[in-house]
Amino acid sequence: MSAPVLSVRDLKTSFFSQRGEVQAVRGVSFDVHPGEILGIVGESGSGKSITCMSILRLLKSTGRIMGGSANFDGQDLMALDQGDLRDIRGNKIGMIFQDPMTSLNPTLSVGEQVMETILRHRKATRAEARARAIELFELVRIPSAAERLKSYPHEFSGGMRQRVMIAIALACDPKLLIADEPTTALDVTIQRQILLLLKDLQKRLGMAVILITHDLGVIAEVTDRIVVMYGGLVMETGPVHDLFATPKHPYTQGLLASVPDLRDDTHRRLTPIPGSPPDMAHPPEGCPFTARCPHAMQQCQAALPPVFGEGQGARCWLHHPDAPKVAGVNEVAA
Amino acid sequence: MSEPYSSLPTPGKVSEAPLVSVRNLHKHFTVGRNLFGPKPTLRAVDGVDLDIYPGETLGLVGESGCGKSTLARTLIRLYQPTSGEMLFDGTDVAKADERALVPFRRRVQMIFQDPYASLNGRMTVRDLIAEPLEIAKIGTPESRTEKVHELLARVGLHRDHANRFAHEFSGGQRQRIGIARAIALEPDLVICDEPISALDVSVQAQVVNMLEDLQDQLGLTYLFITHDLSMVRHISDRIGVMYLGKIVELASNTDLYRRPSHPYTQALLASIPVPDPTATRPSEPMRGEIPSPMHIPTGCRFRTRCPMATELCASTEPALKDIGGGHLAACHYAGDAVTPRAA
Ligand SMILES: Nc1ncnc2c1ncn2[C@@H]1O[C@H](COP(=O)(O)OP(=O)(O)OP(=O)(O)O)[C@@H](O)[C@H]1O
Ligand SMILES: Nc1ncnc2c1ncn2[C@@H]1O[C@H](COP(=O)(O)OP(=O)(O)OP(=O)(O)O)[C@@H](O)[C@H]1O
Ligand code: SF4
Ligand SMILES: [Mg+2]
Ligand SMILES: [Mg+2]
Repeated sequence: MSAPVLSVRDLKTSFFSQRGEVQAVRGVSFDVHPGEILGIVGESGSGKSITCMSILRLLKSTGRIMGGSANFDGQDLMALDQGDLRDIRGNKIGMIFQDPMTSLNPTLSVGEQVMETILRHRKATRAEARARAIELFELVRIPSAAERLKSYPHEFSGGMRQRVMIAIALACDPKLLIADEPTTALDVTIQRQILLLLKDLQKRLGMAVILITHDLGVIAEVTDRIVVMYGGLVMETGPVHDLFATPKHPYTQGLLASVPDLRDDTHRRLTPIPGSPPDMAHPPEGCPFTARCPHAMQQCQAALPPVFGEGQGARCWLHHPDAPKVAGVNEVAA
Repeated sequence: MSEPYSSLPTPGKVSEAPLVSVRNLHKHFTVGRNLFGPKPTLRAVDGVDLDIYPGETLGLVGESGCGKSTLARTLIRLYQPTSGEMLFDGTDVAKADERALVPFRRRVQMIFQDPYASLNGRMTVRDLIAEPLEIAKIGTPESRTEKVHELLARVGLHRDHANRFAHEFSGGQRQRIGIARAIALEPDLVICDEPISALDVSVQAQVVNMLEDLQDQLGLTYLFITHDLSMVRHISDRIGVMYLGKIVELASNTDLYRRPSHPYTQALLASIPVPDPTATRPSEPMRGEIPSPMHIPTGCRFRTRCPMATELCASTEPALKDIGGGHLAACHYAGDAVTPRAA
């Protein structure tokens, strides 16, 4: 396999306030390879966005990176100064966020905003930047591209604004695109237009993509590999087909069992995960899933499990060689 | 529709009279300003025909802005309908005044999307749940507290929770409090407007199972509004699909997913992301975007995005008609063996 585009190791981020420390990210590691779409999935508050904001070093002032590294293009992003980072963000790394309205400037035409990104990172005349902006609008399939450059964000629908965001993110041919819930605010028919567009562009441009979502359907449809986060940690990681076919972590299993099967007519009762996620101001000492896990053991409460397994790794004590056998988890069900 | 209360064809299994019967219901808003003419009209609900039968769960789906919440608010008479008929258990409630609505208001309750915003954070859980009983002047303070404890048990919370404040609870627990409040008056109809959208996937299933249990125990009728097309199939007996203020298709859940007959429903179902990486999917997304409810297309309101629109679609609005077995669709070509383009 070729060298990863991005290699994150033991990343830790906390927020500090009068009420104390919130450990949002507690030692996250993963790789993103050239030309792949890596999905990050997990429930609200599990640390997906803060992981990416930490990688991009875009944390609010109350947030602090407590350790770890993120190697991109031969450099550790954690060691760079803000000047170097500004050269990378929007240039070699493109970004798309959930709500395009808050990321776009309401007082500038959308064309101006695309051109601004190009002019910041490239030696180009305004005419060249404008030509490139039209090309980008055509790429993301905004009809009548040249005329629409003059429009303002509020004149666009949510789906169209997200296309503008994608155009800006792609303006400088990034090696890596980070998309945080890019379709969550959109309707299903528009979501599908945007997801198919993203996947098509990713293939044609050969870039790597990190796609954050809480929607297992979106994950299954567009990603190649996934990272499952819970309580600020990576609980399981592996190729998307393997994780859906044979999830190894009890949390991944619970997550997959809790969504209705669209092809099932029988009104089968859903299987929820009982309880709710841990409070990251007081993270449990052991496995963060202990309180909700149907298989929890003494050991789970006592110590944080390491990641077991190559290729498809799971952070769960049941995959320790000495663990008792549990059907469907560490023993193939009969 | 000429005979407003002539019954719509009903699906096989329900034979009772509908609990709610709506004909040609409209709710329009005037918005913005126009110096030189009448203010523009936004037709949020634009001619809805709908029956809800006792004990059923009727799912209502459609994209953002299609009028689901406005329909819900009109159905509970938070809004006065612009025009149209609305019968609740045989009584006309479309034009009834507040006094006449008193019994109606007890029998119809609503659960909202955002459990954070819809509960007053300064009230204890006990007071939140007891409030509808107090307003309806039911029982004594002691009997109401007793009732609150019973309701808490029903929604899977502990009686000790009664003295705490809503902000001390997680999203899923707050939604349980909202549900306890909604069922306090033992309503017949509960309108659930996106009750699980704000919850985590793993917690959504908890709330859905609980809503199903409560329906069995209390004989509730649900109108379940959502944009989650997987969950709606799981929870509903029948499903209505809304587009630009109108129901364009309505069928039993199995029928709708097996034989979607309106081109909009077909496109909508094909857009659902399926949590199975081995599934094969159509590669073409639906074209275009939803027109504004201030400029609803003439004829069939879906024709601007429809892959099989004809001249007939531009000139004539299709009626919501039975294409067999109570499966309703508002498309000139729905139920035809051959579509005009495919022919
Ligand atoms: N500015 C902040 N101050 C304090 N805590 C924060 C701040 N931002 C995030 N957190 C905490 O960090 C944790 C991780 O948050 P993050 O936004 O990464 O979650 P997420 O997985 O992206 O969730 P979602 O699906 O809701 O977007 C949460 O517990 C959150 O409360
Ligand atoms: N009070 C109001 N005044 C003016 N316009 C309104 C009002 N309430 C709703 N609308 C408009 O009516 C249309 C339907 O809105 P509604 O909230 O009913 O849609 P919805 O189907 O519930 O959408 P969502 O899925 O986003 O909740 C929208 O165009 C909306 O902007
Ligand atoms: S480590 Fe223990 S508690 Fe955590 S998921 Fe595995 S079995 Fe469950
Ligand atoms: Mg997030
Ligand atoms: Mg709504």
